[in-house]
Amino acid sequence: MHRLLLVLSLLFLLSCNKDGGSPTPGTGIGGSTARFTVSDNTLYIVGATSLQAFDITNSSNPIPGAKTTVGMGVETIFPYRDKLFVGTQTGMFIYDITQPARPKQVSVYTHIQSCDPVVAQGNYAYVTLRSGTNCRNRTNNSLDVVDFSDLNNLKQIGSYPMKNPHGLGVDGKLLFVGEGEYGLRILDVSNPAVVLPIQYIDSVKAYDVIPYQNRLIVTSPAGISQYSYATNQLTHLSTLPVQP
Amino acid sequence: MHLHLRIPSLLLVWLLIDGCWRPALPEPPTSGDTYRPVYAAVADIRTIQTLPPQPLQNAGKIYIKDQYLFINEVGRGIHVVDNRNPARPVPLSFVSIPGNQELAIKDSILYADNVLDLVALNIADPATVRVVKRIENAFPYSSYPLATNVRFECPDPTRGIVVRWEKATVDNPECYR
Repeated sequence: MHRLLLVLSLLFLLSCNKDGGSPTPGTGIGGSTARFTVSDNTLYIVGATSLQAFDITNSSNPIPGAKTTVGMGVETIFPYRDKLFVGTQTGMFIYDITQPARPKQVSVYTHIQSCDPVVAQGNYAYVTLRSGTNCRNRTNNSLDVVDFSDLNNLKQIGSYPMKNPHGLGVDGKLLFVGEGEYGLRILDVSNPAVVLPIQYIDSVKAYDVIPYQNRLIVTSPAGISQYSYATNQLTHLSTLPVQP
Repeated sequence: MHLHLRIPSLLLVWLLIDGCWRPALPEPPTSGDTYRPVYAAVADIRTIQTLPPQPLQNAGKIYIKDQYLFINEVGRGIHVVDNRNPARPVPLSFVSIPGNQELAIKDSILYADNVLDLVALNIADPATVRVVKRIENAFPYSSYPLATNVRFECPDPTRGIVVRWEKATVDNPECYR
Protein backbone atom coordinates (compact mmCIF):
# COMPACT_ATOMS: atom_id res chain seq x y z
CA MET A 1 0.00 0.00 0.00
CA HIS A 2 2.77 2.40 0.99
CA ARG A 3 4.68 1.52 -2.13
CA LEU A 4 1.61 2.21 -4.24
CA LEU A 5 1.20 5.62 -2.60
CA LEU A 6 4.85 6.39 -3.24
CA VAL A 7 4.53 5.43 -6.92
CA LEU A 8 1.35 7.49 -7.24
CA SER A 9 2.91 10.53 -5.64
CA LEU A 10 6.01 10.20 -7.82
CA LEU A 11 3.76 10.02 -10.88
CA PHE A 12 1.95 13.10 -9.63
CA LEU A 13 5.23 14.99 -9.22
CA LEU A 14 6.40 13.91 -12.66
CA SER A 15 3.15 15.02 -14.22
CA CYS A 16 3.63 18.45 -12.63
CA ASN A 17 7.15 18.80 -13.99
CA LYS A 18 6.28 17.60 -17.46
CA ASP A 19 3.74 20.36 -17.99
CA GLY A 20 5.44 23.49 -19.28
CA GLY A 21 2.52 25.74 -18.32
CA SER A 22 1.46 27.00 -14.91
CA PRO A 23 3.83 27.24 -11.98
CA THR A 24 3.78 24.20 -9.70
CA PRO A 25 2.93 24.29 -5.99
CA GLY A 26 5.68 25.35 -3.65
CA THR A 27 8.32 28.02 -3.54
CA GLY A 28 11.11 29.11 -5.90
CA ILE A 29 14.69 30.16 -5.23
CA GLY A 30 16.13 33.64 -4.82
CA GLY A 31 19.66 34.94 -4.66
CA SER A 32 21.75 35.59 -1.54
CA THR A 33 21.00 39.32 -1.58
CA ALA A 34 17.21 38.84 -1.31
CA ARG A 35 15.14 40.65 1.31
CA PHE A 36 12.04 38.52 0.57
CA THR A 37 11.93 34.77 1.10
CA VAL A 38 9.32 32.05 1.42
CA SER A 39 9.64 29.09 3.77
CA ASP A 40 6.71 26.68 3.54
CA ASN A 41 3.63 28.74 4.35
CA THR A 42 5.32 31.92 5.51
CA LEU A 43 6.71 34.88 3.61
CA TYR A 44 9.54 36.59 5.49
CA ILE A 45 10.62 40.14 4.66
CA VAL A 46 13.57 41.98 6.15
CA GLY A 47 13.47 45.77 6.33
CA ALA A 48 16.34 48.01 7.40
CA THR A 49 16.01 46.92 11.06
CA SER A 50 13.24 44.33 11.23
CA LEU A 51 12.00 40.89 10.20
CA GLN A 52 8.33 40.50 9.38
CA ALA A 53 6.33 37.31 8.81
CA PHE A 54 3.28 37.01 6.56
CA ASP A 55 1.10 33.91 6.72
CA ILE A 56 0.62 32.60 3.17
CA THR A 57 -1.10 29.29 3.94
CA ASN A 58 -3.56 30.58 1.37
CA SER A 59 -0.98 31.93 -1.06
CA SER A 60 -3.41 34.45 -2.58
CA ASN A 61 -4.13 35.97 0.78
CA PRO A 62 -0.98 37.02 2.68
CA ILE A 63 -1.79 37.99 6.27
CA PRO A 64 0.65 40.23 8.18
CA GLY A 65 2.06 38.55 11.28
CA ALA A 66 4.71 39.22 13.89
CA LYS A 67 7.34 41.91 13.28
CA THR A 68 10.63 41.37 15.10
CA THR A 69 13.38 43.94 15.61
CA VAL A 70 16.70 42.54 14.36
CA GLY A 71 19.15 45.43 14.64
CA MET A 72 20.90 47.95 12.46
CA GLY A 73 21.72 47.55 8.78
CA VAL A 74 19.73 44.42 7.93
CA GLU A 75 20.42 43.43 4.33
CA THR A 76 19.65 39.83 3.40
CA ILE A 77 17.62 36.76 4.38
CA PHE A 78 18.27 33.11 3.52
CA PRO A 79 16.02 30.21 4.60
CA TYR A 80 17.54 26.84 5.39
CA ARG A 81 15.57 23.97 6.95
CA ASP A 82 13.91 25.35 10.12
CA LYS A 83 16.22 28.36 10.28
CA LEU A 84 16.50 31.82 8.78
CA PHE A 85 19.94 33.34 8.24
CA VAL A 86 19.84 37.11 8.32
CA GLY A 87 22.81 39.10 7.03
CA THR A 88 23.36 42.53 8.57
CA GLN A 89 26.15 45.08 8.47
CA THR A 90 27.32 43.96 11.90
CA GLY A 91 26.89 40.21 11.72
CA MET A 92 24.83 37.15 10.94
CA PHE A 93 21.71 36.37 12.95
CA ILE A 94 20.14 32.91 13.02
CA TYR A 95 16.40 32.62 13.69
CA ASP A 96 14.56 29.43 14.56
CA ILE A 97 11.26 29.16 12.68
CA THR A 98 9.92 25.95 14.20
CA GLN A 99 6.98 28.19 15.00
CA PRO A 100 6.86 29.95 11.63
CA ALA A 101 4.79 32.92 12.77
CA ARG A 102 7.21 33.69 15.59
CA PRO A 103 10.86 33.70 14.45
CA LYS A 104 13.10 33.34 17.48
CA GLN A 105 16.67 34.59 17.49
CA VAL A 106 18.94 31.73 18.52
CA SER A 107 22.45 32.81 17.49
CA VAL A 108 24.52 35.81 16.53
CA TYR A 109 27.84 35.86 14.70
CA THR A 110 29.30 39.35 14.90
CA HIS A 111 32.07 40.82 12.80
CA ILE A 112 33.37 44.18 11.73
CA GLN A 113 30.98 46.49 9.91
CA SER A 114 30.61 45.40 6.32
CA CYS A 115 28.13 44.16 3.75
CA ASP A 116 27.54 40.49 4.21
CA PRO A 117 25.11 38.11 2.57
CA VAL A 118 24.97 34.59 4.01
CA VAL A 119 24.00 31.14 2.71
CA ALA A 120 23.89 27.83 4.57
CA GLN A 121 24.31 24.15 3.88
CA GLY A 122 24.65 21.22 6.27
CA ASN A 123 25.86 22.67 9.57
CA TYR A 124 27.79 25.47 7.93
CA ALA A 125 27.05 29.07 7.09
CA TYR A 126 29.09 30.86 4.44
CA VAL A 127 29.32 34.59 5.06
CA THR A 128 31.07 37.08 2.80
CA LEU A 129 32.33 40.42 4.07
CA ARG A 130 32.85 43.20 1.59
CA SER A 131 34.50 46.57 1.76
CA GLY A 132 33.31 49.59 -0.15
CA THR A 133 31.89 53.03 0.23
CA ASN A 134 28.40 51.67 0.83
CA CYS A 135 29.57 49.26 3.47
CA ARG A 136 31.54 51.40 5.96
CA ASN A 137 34.31 48.81 5.71
CA ARG A 138 37.35 50.02 3.89
CA THR A 139 39.72 47.11 3.89
CA ASN A 140 38.36 43.71 4.78
CA ASN A 141 37.09 41.33 2.09
CA SER A 142 36.67 37.73 3.11
CA LEU A 143 34.67 34.54 3.09
CA ASP A 144 34.02 33.25 6.61
CA VAL A 145 32.87 29.70 7.27
CA VAL A 146 30.85 29.32 10.45
CA ASP A 147 29.93 25.99 12.05
CA PHE A 148 26.46 26.36 13.59
CA SER A 149 25.97 22.77 14.77
CA ASP A 150 25.93 24.18 18.31
CA LEU A 151 23.71 27.25 18.10
CA ASN A 152 24.89 28.41 21.51
CA ASN A 153 28.48 28.34 20.39
CA LEU A 154 29.02 29.36 16.77
CA LYS A 155 32.51 28.58 15.58
CA GLN A 156 34.39 30.26 12.78
CA ILE A 157 36.25 27.37 11.18
CA GLY A 158 37.80 29.30 8.34
CA SER A 159 38.30 32.71 6.78
CA TYR A 160 39.58 33.25 3.26
CA PRO A 161 40.61 36.50 1.59
CA MET A 162 38.32 37.67 -1.21
CA LYS A 163 38.51 40.66 -3.55
CA ASN A 164 35.06 42.28 -3.34
CA PRO A 165 32.33 39.66 -2.75
CA HIS A 166 28.74 40.75 -3.47
CA GLY A 167 26.72 37.53 -3.47
CA LEU A 168 27.24 33.81 -3.07
CA GLY A 169 25.54 30.46 -3.53
CA VAL A 170 26.26 26.88 -2.49
CA ASP A 171 25.20 23.62 -4.11
CA GLY A 172 26.66 20.36 -2.83
CA LYS A 173 30.43 20.58 -2.90
CA LEU A 174 30.53 23.80 -4.92
CA LEU A 175 30.45 27.35 -3.59
CA PHE A 176 30.15 30.27 -6.01
CA VAL A 177 31.15 33.81 -5.07
CA GLY A 178 30.34 36.85 -7.21
CA GLU A 179 33.37 39.10 -6.79
CA GLY A 180 31.73 42.14 -8.41
CA GLU A 181 34.07 43.88 -10.86
CA TYR A 182 36.75 41.31 -10.06
CA GLY A 183 35.01 38.24 -11.40
CA LEU A 184 33.47 34.97 -10.35
CA ARG A 185 35.02 32.45 -8.02
CA ILE A 186 34.26 28.72 -7.70
CA LEU A 187 35.37 26.94 -4.55
CA ASP A 188 35.30 23.36 -3.33
CA VAL A 189 33.51 23.05 0.03
CA SER A 190 33.40 19.24 0.24
CA ASN A 191 35.37 19.74 3.44
CA PRO A 192 33.96 23.00 4.88
CA ALA A 193 36.96 23.28 7.21
CA VAL A 194 39.32 23.48 4.24
CA VAL A 195 37.81 25.43 1.37
CA LEU A 196 39.78 24.97 -1.84
CA PRO A 197 39.84 27.05 -5.03
CA ILE A 198 38.62 25.40 -8.23
CA GLN A 199 38.28 28.19 -10.76
CA TYR A 200 38.52 31.96 -10.84
CA ILE A 201 37.15 33.78 -13.86
CA ASP A 202 38.13 37.44 -13.94
CA SER A 203 36.45 38.09 -17.31
CA VAL A 204 32.95 37.77 -15.81
CA LYS A 205 31.80 40.60 -13.58
CA ALA A 206 29.50 38.88 -11.11
CA TYR A 207 27.19 40.25 -8.43
CA ASP A 208 24.60 37.77 -7.14
CA VAL A 209 24.41 34.10 -8.11
CA ILE A 210 21.88 31.27 -7.93
CA PRO A 211 23.27 27.74 -8.36
CA TYR A 212 20.55 25.18 -8.97
CA GLN A 213 20.57 21.75 -10.61
CA ASN A 214 23.97 22.17 -12.26
CA ARG A 215 23.05 25.58 -13.61
CA LEU A 216 24.37 28.87 -12.37
CA ILE A 217 22.53 32.13 -12.91
CA VAL A 218 24.71 35.23 -12.51
CA THR A 219 23.76 38.90 -12.40
CA SER A 220 26.38 41.18 -13.90
CA PRO A 221 26.58 44.69 -15.35
CA ALA A 222 26.41 43.05 -18.80
CA GLY A 223 23.16 41.25 -18.08
CA ILE A 224 21.92 37.92 -16.74
CA SER A 225 24.25 35.06 -17.66
CA GLN A 226 23.71 31.33 -17.29
CA TYR A 227 26.30 28.60 -17.02
CA SER A 228 26.38 24.86 -16.61
CA TYR A 229 28.60 23.48 -13.85
CA ALA A 230 27.88 19.81 -14.47
CA THR A 231 31.61 19.16 -14.93
CA ASN A 232 32.73 21.40 -12.00
CA GLN A 233 33.95 23.91 -14.57
CA LEU A 234 31.71 26.64 -15.90
CA THR A 235 30.36 26.39 -19.43
CA HIS A 236 28.62 29.51 -20.70
CA LEU A 237 25.06 28.85 -21.89
CA SER A 238 23.54 32.26 -22.53
CA THR A 239 23.41 35.95 -21.60
CA LEU A 240 20.36 38.17 -21.60
CA PRO A 241 22.15 41.44 -22.29
CA VAL A 242 21.52 44.78 -20.64
CA GLN A 243 20.56 47.28 -23.31
CA PRO A 244 22.08 50.74 -23.06
CA MET B 1 41.32 50.40 46.14
CA HIS B 2 41.80 47.80 43.46
CA LEU B 3 38.15 48.02 42.56
CA HIS B 4 38.37 51.79 42.17
CA LEU B 5 41.22 51.39 39.76
CA ARG B 6 39.56 48.63 37.82
CA ILE B 7 36.31 50.39 37.03
CA PRO B 8 37.86 53.42 35.30
CA SER B 9 40.22 51.21 33.29
CA LEU B 10 37.31 49.00 32.24
CA LEU B 11 35.43 52.12 31.27
CA LEU B 12 38.38 53.30 29.24
CA VAL B 13 38.61 49.94 27.44
CA TRP B 14 34.88 50.01 26.80
CA LEU B 15 35.06 53.53 25.42
CA LEU B 16 37.96 52.56 23.16
CA ILE B 17 36.10 49.54 21.82
CA ASP B 18 32.92 51.52 21.48
CA GLY B 19 34.78 54.19 19.57
CA CYS B 20 35.88 51.59 17.04
CA TRP B 21 32.39 50.31 16.45
CA ARG B 22 30.77 53.68 15.93
CA PRO B 23 32.87 55.72 13.56
CA ALA B 24 32.31 59.47 13.60
CA LEU B 25 29.70 60.75 11.18
CA PRO B 26 31.33 60.89 7.77
CA GLU B 27 31.93 64.23 6.10
CA PRO B 28 29.66 64.94 3.14
CA PRO B 29 31.30 63.60 -0.03
CA THR B 30 32.44 66.20 -2.52
CA SER B 31 32.75 63.90 -5.52
CA GLY B 32 31.45 60.55 -6.76
CA ASP B 33 28.03 59.45 -7.95
CA THR B 34 25.08 61.77 -7.78
CA TYR B 35 21.44 60.73 -8.00
CA ARG B 36 18.19 62.30 -9.10
CA PRO B 37 14.77 61.16 -7.89
CA VAL B 38 12.21 59.85 -10.36
CA TYR B 39 8.71 60.81 -9.26
CA ALA B 40 5.30 59.28 -9.82
CA ALA B 41 1.94 60.78 -9.04
CA VAL B 42 0.34 59.30 -5.93
CA ALA B 43 -2.54 58.16 -8.16
CA ASP B 44 -0.14 56.20 -10.42
CA ILE B 45 2.06 54.35 -7.94
CA ARG B 46 -0.52 51.61 -7.45
CA THR B 47 -0.94 50.92 -11.17
CA ILE B 48 0.37 47.45 -12.02
CA GLN B 49 0.33 46.37 -15.66
CA THR B 50 1.53 43.43 -17.73
CA LEU B 51 3.41 44.74 -20.75
CA PRO B 52 5.19 43.04 -23.66
CA PRO B 53 8.88 42.23 -22.99
CA GLN B 54 10.92 45.36 -22.25
CA PRO B 55 14.66 45.96 -22.60
CA LEU B 56 16.78 44.93 -19.62
CA GLN B 57 18.43 48.10 -18.31
CA ASN B 58 19.23 47.99 -14.62
CA ALA B 59 18.93 44.37 -13.49
CA GLY B 60 18.39 43.82 -9.78
CA LYS B 61 17.36 40.71 -7.85
CA ILE B 62 16.76 37.40 -9.62
CA TYR B 63 14.43 34.53 -8.77
CA ILE B 64 13.75 31.12 -10.31
CA LYS B 65 10.58 29.08 -10.14
CA ASP B 66 9.95 26.01 -12.30
CA GLN B 67 10.88 26.91 -15.86
CA TYR B 68 10.63 30.65 -15.24
CA LEU B 69 13.34 33.16 -14.50
CA PHE B 70 12.28 36.46 -12.93
CA ILE B 71 14.54 39.51 -13.16
CA ASN B 72 13.86 42.68 -11.22
CA GLU B 73 14.27 45.92 -13.17
CA VAL B 74 15.27 48.19 -10.29
CA GLY B 75 12.42 50.50 -9.31
CA ARG B 76 10.26 49.52 -12.29
CA GLY B 77 9.03 45.94 -12.18
CA ILE B 78 9.81 42.37 -13.16
CA HIS B 79 10.87 40.70 -16.42
CA VAL B 80 9.29 37.23 -16.79
CA VAL B 81 11.48 34.89 -18.83
CA ASP B 82 10.77 31.38 -20.14
CA ASN B 83 13.92 29.54 -19.11
CA ARG B 84 13.07 25.99 -20.18
CA ASN B 85 16.16 26.10 -22.34
CA PRO B 86 18.85 28.03 -20.38
CA ALA B 87 20.90 28.25 -23.56
CA ARG B 88 18.09 30.29 -25.09
CA PRO B 89 15.98 32.15 -22.49
CA VAL B 90 12.89 33.79 -24.00
CA PRO B 91 11.44 36.98 -22.43
CA LEU B 92 7.66 36.56 -22.08
CA SER B 93 6.42 39.76 -20.47
CA PHE B 94 7.24 42.67 -18.21
CA VAL B 95 5.18 43.31 -15.11
CA SER B 96 5.32 47.04 -14.41
CA ILE B 97 5.40 47.61 -10.62
CA PRO B 98 6.45 51.14 -9.59
CA GLY B 99 9.23 51.15 -6.99
CA ASN B 100 9.76 47.38 -7.15
CA GLN B 101 13.04 45.87 -5.91
CA GLU B 102 12.16 42.54 -4.29
CA LEU B 103 10.21 39.39 -5.09
CA ALA B 104 9.45 35.87 -3.86
CA ILE B 105 7.02 33.22 -5.06
CA LYS B 106 4.81 30.50 -3.60
CA ASP B 107 2.65 28.38 -5.91
CA SER B 108 1.54 30.74 -8.68
CA ILE B 109 1.56 33.84 -6.47
CA LEU B 110 4.38 36.36 -6.67
CA TYR B 111 4.93 38.75 -3.73
CA ALA B 112 6.46 42.11 -4.56
CA ASP B 113 7.05 45.50 -3.01
CA ASN B 114 5.21 48.34 -4.74
CA VAL B 115 6.62 51.53 -3.17
CA LEU B 116 4.71 51.45 0.17
CA ASP B 117 2.61 48.35 -0.39
CA LEU B 118 3.09 44.60 -0.48
CA VAL B 119 1.24 43.10 -3.45
CA ALA B 120 0.33 39.48 -4.22
CA LEU B 121 0.20 38.84 -7.97
CA ASN B 122 -1.23 35.78 -9.71
CA ILE B 123 1.34 34.82 -12.36
CA ALA B 124 -0.32 31.61 -13.61
CA ASP B 125 -0.50 33.32 -16.99
CA PRO B 126 2.60 35.56 -17.33
CA ALA B 127 0.89 37.46 -20.15
CA THR B 128 -1.92 38.64 -17.86
CA VAL B 129 -0.68 39.04 -14.31
CA ARG B 130 -3.42 39.98 -11.83
CA VAL B 131 -3.21 41.70 -8.43
CA VAL B 132 -4.99 39.37 -5.97
CA LYS B 133 -4.15 41.23 -2.77
CA ARG B 134 -2.62 44.54 -1.73
CA ILE B 135 -1.46 45.26 1.81
CA GLU B 136 -1.21 49.03 1.96
CA ASN B 137 1.61 50.76 3.81
CA ALA B 138 3.48 47.54 4.57
CA PHE B 139 6.77 49.39 4.07
CA PRO B 140 8.05 52.76 5.27
CA TYR B 141 8.56 55.45 2.63
CA SER B 142 12.25 56.17 2.09
CA SER B 143 13.00 59.32 0.18
CA TYR B 144 16.71 58.70 -0.36
CA PRO B 145 18.83 56.42 -2.59
CA LEU B 146 19.83 52.95 -1.33
CA ALA B 147 23.52 53.71 -1.81
CA THR B 148 25.33 55.47 1.01
CA ASN B 149 28.10 58.06 0.83
CA VAL B 150 26.46 59.63 -2.22
CA ARG B 151 25.03 63.03 -3.02
CA PHE B 152 21.57 63.52 -4.46
CA GLU B 153 18.98 66.07 -5.45
CA CYS B 154 16.72 66.59 -2.44
CA PRO B 155 13.27 65.15 -3.14
CA ASP B 156 10.45 67.66 -3.51
CA PRO B 157 7.29 66.18 -1.94
CA THR B 158 5.06 68.42 -4.03
CA ARG B 159 6.26 66.62 -7.18
CA GLY B 160 4.98 63.21 -6.08
CA ILE B 161 6.33 59.99 -4.63
CA VAL B 162 9.91 58.91 -5.35
CA VAL B 163 9.70 55.51 -7.10
CA ARG B 164 13.37 55.11 -8.00
CA TRP B 165 16.69 56.93 -8.27
CA GLU B 166 18.77 57.37 -11.36
CA LYS B 167 22.43 58.24 -11.58
CA ALA B 168 22.62 61.67 -13.13
CA THR B 169 24.65 64.83 -13.15
CA VAL B 170 23.12 67.09 -10.53
CA ASP B 171 24.19 70.71 -10.21
CA ASN B 172 25.02 71.45 -6.61
CA PRO B 173 23.30 68.44 -4.96
CA GLU B 174 22.25 69.55 -1.50
CA CYS B 175 21.38 66.21 0.04
CA TYR B 176 23.83 63.47 0.90
CA ARG B 177 23.82 60.17 2.69
